[in-house]
Amino acid sequence: MRKFFPVDSLARDSRFNQITMKQSQADPRSALIATEEKRPKTNRLQPSRADASDAARSLMHGIFVGEIQALEGAGRTCHDFETGTEAPFALKLDMARQAWDEARHVEISVKLSEWMGTEIGQYAENTVLFEAACSTDPVLRLAGVNRALEGLAIDVFTTMKEFGDIAGDPFLEFCEDWMLADEVTHVKMGSDWLRRITENDPERRKKALEFQSVVDKIFSFGGTRSDSQESPIGLARRFRELAGFSDDEVEDIADVSLRALEERKAFARQAQAEAVEQFSAS
Amino acid sequence: MADPYKPRAPFAPWDRRQLPGLFDVEETARRVGNYKWAEMKLFEALGGWVATVPELDVKMRLGTHCYHHAWHAELWHKRLPELREMNPDRLTQPANDAMVQFVAALTEPEAPELTIEKLVGVYRVFIPHFISAYTFHMNNTSEITDAPTIRTLKLALQDEFEDWRDGEMMLQSLIETPEEVDRAAAHQAKLEKLILAAGGIAGPGSIGGN
Repeated sequence: MRKFFPVDSLARDSRFNQITMKQSQADPRSALIATEEKRPKTNRLQPSRADASDAARSLMHGIFVGEIQALEGAGRTCHDFETGTEAPFALKLDMARQAWDEARHVEISVKLSEWMGTEIGQYAENTVLFEAACSTDPVLRLAGVNRALEGLAIDVFTTMKEFGDIAGDPFLEFCEDWMLADEVTHVKMGSDWLRRITENDPERRKKALEFQSVVDKIFSFGGTRSDSQESPIGLARRFRELAGFSDDEVEDIADVSLRALEERKAFARQAQAEAVEQFSAS
Repeated sequence: MADPYKPRAPFAPWDRRQLPGLFDVEETARRVGNYKWAEMKLFEALGGWVATVPELDVKMRLGTHCYHHAWHAELWHKRLPELREMNPDRLTQPANDAMVQFVAALTEPEAPELTIEKLVGVYRVFIPHFISAYTFHMNNTSEITDAPTIRTLKLALQDEFEDWRDGEMMLQSLIETPEEVDRAAAHQAKLEKLILAAGGIAGPGSIGGN
């Protein structure tokens, strides 16, 4: 088995359909692609939204495939680096623990999807999450996956937990609460290892934080997660603090997310215009 | 209530533990170092394979089992300094070169069509050898002086038995044709020959005899 596994080789059964980030953002079912006149005052995922059921099912399926990729990423970090020379033994133990946690999250999210009336493969799988786990530097992986991706998971689970609470679904709220506890642990793991490994290597730390920033922007899902009510998922500031993010870091992510939202809106307008043009030409 | 000052035997009548054991401190440390190395190779392989198997249930079990073996490696890592080995890395070694060859052959399958080979290597060869080496150690070390090793062996064995059962059931559910039976058997035979040459997880004498 080779070291460093390419994203296009991820093994899936016949139910799964993988797409790129660009395809995902151009999806006409996306709430952010609605025209200005039809756009609701808030896109935040709440039971009062007309499309709440489908949006929640779509998000849960996204969580499900994201957990699969997080499981695969943690597993690969156990395998891809030599113990001692490339990654500390204790870091690999943490990644093995995370693999178990992510496996449980796949189990939980597949059962929740079933509970919500979704079938596996009903929505496409965006593989951008695993791409962050392909770095050849374990510190960059921790920055990209544990701090950026798992940080996003904190925001997503907080939103879903609130959704379950408001919708009167104690089953959903219960499960999200448990997964949220694991994610805070994973983010803290990433924060602690990043500081420990780069303690005497400021250049490597800078590079890792820059990578995290890039991944954070990508994982802002083009504005799906931000403080703005236009984003379906909010920024879970309190849980991020628990996970070891400083106030400045949370503010940076908030800024990046808002910028991503504006870029997404511009992209959506362009994609819609292109689609109309293609339709008219045909 | 009985008189609390009445003399009692230091060992209760139902406590039949014995002082003698087969292994001294040095031999115990050597074996523990081999166990740690082998558990590390196993959890690394399981973690690496998660992304390579298309079967969703197998993918999840490999992730779960990956942690079990990482935890065993951690327990052995912590035991080494208690056995007078202050540099655990020094004894974290394969039993011999044949063991290295076995692990190389075990971890060779990568393609998504080779789930049977991956599972056979782990659940029909490697884990049964862990079970036999751990059982031999547990039943032959001093029940009193080496109680901490016995406790770790028991904890690890609990996982090994459960993981073996999970793996065997996954294999039985995946093998659907006589040709696949042959495939599984051929791969098992290939790996068994390699671990036979190694003498087991801790080399010759893993389960006594030498």
